[in-house]
Amino acid sequence: MNTADLVAIGGFVAMFVLMGLRVPLGVAMGLVGVFGFAAMRGITPALNLLTTSPIRVITDFNLTLVPFFILMGVFATNSGMSRELFRTGNAWLGQFRGGLALSTIAACAGFAAICGSSIATAATMSRIALPEMRKAGYADATSTGVIAAGGTLGILIPPSVMMVVYAFLTETDVGQLLMAGVVPGILATLMYMATVLIAHGKHLPSGKTFDFKEAITSLRDVWAVLLLFIAVIGVIYLGIATATEAAAVGALLTMVIGILRGRLNTKLIMSSLVESLRTSVSLFSVLIGAILFGYFLAITQSPQKLTAFLVGLDFGPYGTLALILVIFLVAGALMDEMAMIILLVPIVFPVVIHLGFDPIWFGVIIVVACELGMIMPPVGINVFVINSIAKDVKITTIYGGVMPFILTDIIRLILLVAFPIIALWLPMTMR
Amino acid sequence: MHRYLERFSDAVDVIAGLLLGLCTLLIVVSTVGRYVFSWAIPDSFDLSRYLIGACMMWGFASLGYRGGHIAVDLLYEPLGPWGRRVLDFIAWALLLAFTAMLAYMMFFRLTGAYRSNEATFDLRIPVWPLVGLIWFGCASAVVTTAVAPFVCGKHEETNPLEGHGV
Amino acid sequence: AEVELTLSHWVPATHMLQAGGMEPWAKSINEASGGRINITIYPASQLGAAPDHYDMARDGIVDIGFINPGYQPGRFPILAAGEIPFLISDAKSGSRALDEWYRQYSAKEMSDVYVCMVHVHDPGTLHGTKGPIQVPADLKGKNIRPAHATMARLVSSLGAASVQVPAGEMRELISKGAADMTASPWNSIYTFGLQDVTKHHLDMPFYVTTFAFVMNKAKIDGLEPQDRKVIDDHCTSEWAEKMASKWADAEAAGRQKMIDAGGHTFYKPTPDEVNLWKQATASLEGEWAAAATKAGIDAKSAWASLAETLKKYDANVK
Ligand code: NA
Ligand code: NA
Repeated sequence: MNTADLVAIGGFVAMFVLMGLRVPLGVAMGLVGVFGFAAMRGITPALNLLTTSPIRVITDFNLTLVPFFILMGVFATNSGMSRELFRTGNAWLGQFRGGLALSTIAACAGFAAICGSSIATAATMSRIALPEMRKAGYADATSTGVIAAGGTLGILIPPSVMMVVYAFLTETDVGQLLMAGVVPGILATLMYMATVLIAHGKHLPSGKTFDFKEAITSLRDVWAVLLLFIAVIGVIYLGIATATEAAAVGALLTMVIGILRGRLNTKLIMSSLVESLRTSVSLFSVLIGAILFGYFLAITQSPQKLTAFLVGLDFGPYGTLALILVIFLVAGALMDEMAMIILLVPIVFPVVIHLGFDPIWFGVIIVVACELGMIMPPVGINVFVINSIAKDVKITTIYGGVMPFILTDIIRLILLVAFPIIALWLPMTMR
Repeated sequence: MHRYLERFSDAVDVIAGLLLGLCTLLIVVSTVGRYVFSWAIPDSFDLSRYLIGACMMWGFASLGYRGGHIAVDLLYEPLGPWGRRVLDFIAWALLLAFTAMLAYMMFFRLTGAYRSNEATFDLRIPVWPLVGLIWFGCASAVVTTAVAPFVCGKHEETNPLEGHGV
Repeated sequence: AEVELTLSHWVPATHMLQAGGMEPWAKSINEASGGRINITIYPASQLGAAPDHYDMARDGIVDIGFINPGYQPGRFPILAAGEIPFLISDAKSGSRALDEWYRQYSAKEMSDVYVCMVHVHDPGTLHGTKGPIQVPADLKGKNIRPAHATMARLVSSLGAASVQVPAGEMRELISKGAADMTASPWNSIYTFGLQDVTKHHLDMPFYVTTFAFVMNKAKIDGLEPQDRKVIDDHCTSEWAEKMASKWADAEAAGRQKMIDAGGHTFYKPTPDEVNLWKQATASLEGEWAAAATKAGIDAKSAWASLAETLKKYDANVK
């Protein structure tokens, strides 16, 4: 072990200490990156990293679509599209036993198709579906569990900010990656519905009577969501425009629809802009830190050594993959998922590629691992978000409700590892 | 004094929001121009890149005032009010130090762009005003972060979604 | 080793420029210094973005930076002469000639670094996802990744929009549909994985890109005299030619590789059509002269000197 290795290890330790002290993640990574680089190359060059790199990150064209994917979801929420999705879901699925829960999952999937964020999906659905389910006599564990799990669809079904970040970190094709989320997203939706019926089945209230006319008229209200999904994802699939162009057009279109329906005014538009910008910035500031930390690791040459070490363990491709997934699941339970992929993906990605796995497929695997982390105790972000909206439901109650979904997620993860075609079929049909 | 600081941070929000709106429009217009009229706006690629960068730095300033950075709560949650206050102070001080370092060093990117005549690819418009717009956002972030502990809290309810990635 | 130097670049580690240029060069330095100087190569933008490499060498983030000056329009107006289409015909002798010529100006234009050498790549052309690409009018309304600042001026003067990303991001750009065409030498289409996307090619030696190896000044000035001599001996016009040679052969072979692979369309302009291209690029020389004059040199005599040096090494387009 030489000096560079020691500096790298010291850097990791320092970063974890700062993270534990609740220092903003971007700052923790950035400070350690700069001062670690200083230990290797001197303080002046290290400070000069701040002159060029942060501007390079925030003006990187591969990231320009992030704010638009978020903006689209915020406009959709503020103009009531999530409520319509839920109403339509209920008109069709409300007849079954546990119909409201099924409708909630369907509405989550529908909202995920126009919103790039999981916590936004979970939050918007808590506000709409939770009061209805409680009124209908659902147990708190069931209703919150369904929303927490359904919310995670936000990063699997395109658009997905998580996938944009993965594509940025690994230089994979973001369009193909987004498409790779579609079929696993449908699979996840169906598996969540089955989970509700099997695990929570005994306590589910029975459904309402089916009204054919209502079901048909309810479809009228969701045209906007359908239009937006086709406009954005269809355009990316067909390669007609770039993902950034599609995202910007999608955001503007959502706004225009909101204005035409009389649901967005100047004040609401302005606050939507600021809100989505602030969400984007919290992400970009972590990326700035991650890039600085990455330069520090590169100058110590530790990524290569780590790759050599992991490959040298000789567990075989699937053994090493299993080890990596366990690391991701533990990290996912303990920290924010965005933090996790920014921290871990650059380190494990070279190993995964070296072992011969498909980069697009691995992106989907990582997103599913993130979904698990979002509902896994002790730090399940979606659970926290629901708890902050439904303050009278105990955190432990929500965790109790999501347990069956954690099991389904693990089964789904195994299915995706065993059958990569589930993820890769759709992107393979692109040009 | 408080009133001025609040007005300043409101202005930061407005600038940040307008920049994002402007950027959305620029990309949409150039997209429509390209696909519908096969007419390309020169420099739209460079301009939208730099504008997004400016959005991010002005948004960074907005975050400095109201908080909302991604952080790990694992050790924070179980602490009492006193322990939390200590951690809050450490986090704030390091955020301020980092932001100040960033603004100081980024200034040399601005002077560098000015002195080296760096320009956009198509029309050869000097890029330093765009870099300057980004830098002003970063400098504002130093101000908003520095005053945050003295003014925040009275303004609005915190958004539960903030500070948790996506 | 007594002296550890970091060399940073932004093409893949497998790129011929590293295997056939940088590695032999670094090895020769190591041997000539009796093992005193060791150079570690950091490929693929590990230490910074491609357009930042000049600043990175200047600021000491790295000791040696490989740069494409054309990634920063307006910053290096004198060297930009090398980017003008229909000027340099051959990468090997052209690199030697351009390096020899630029030595008159390098200390002025790149004053905050030690300029080791400049060189060019094998003449490249335009490659697109759709055809035809035969005459300048075929560029109108397209999104084009221009390779460097001078080509960006050209494509925008022809009614196209430039979408400038470093070479390493070409694939993503084109496969996403963010650009319809890219300027590139032949084999780089394979190096950067574009062979299945860009199936249409303008079959004409069109332009070259200039590159430079620049070093941190303080680091070089701080070397012991005998080490300094080794570096100086490896920063010569002869070495510029060597640096470019293996890469140039690899690039030139790319065209034949495409013919053998099949499925590619080559648009060969007639002499009249070549003249249309030459007319389209004619204004670039004037633009260069204006910028060079503004930079404080006698543009007219500089241009004459460049033409003469290129001719001396038989590297000029006839
Ligand atoms: Na989504
Ligand atoms: Na978690």
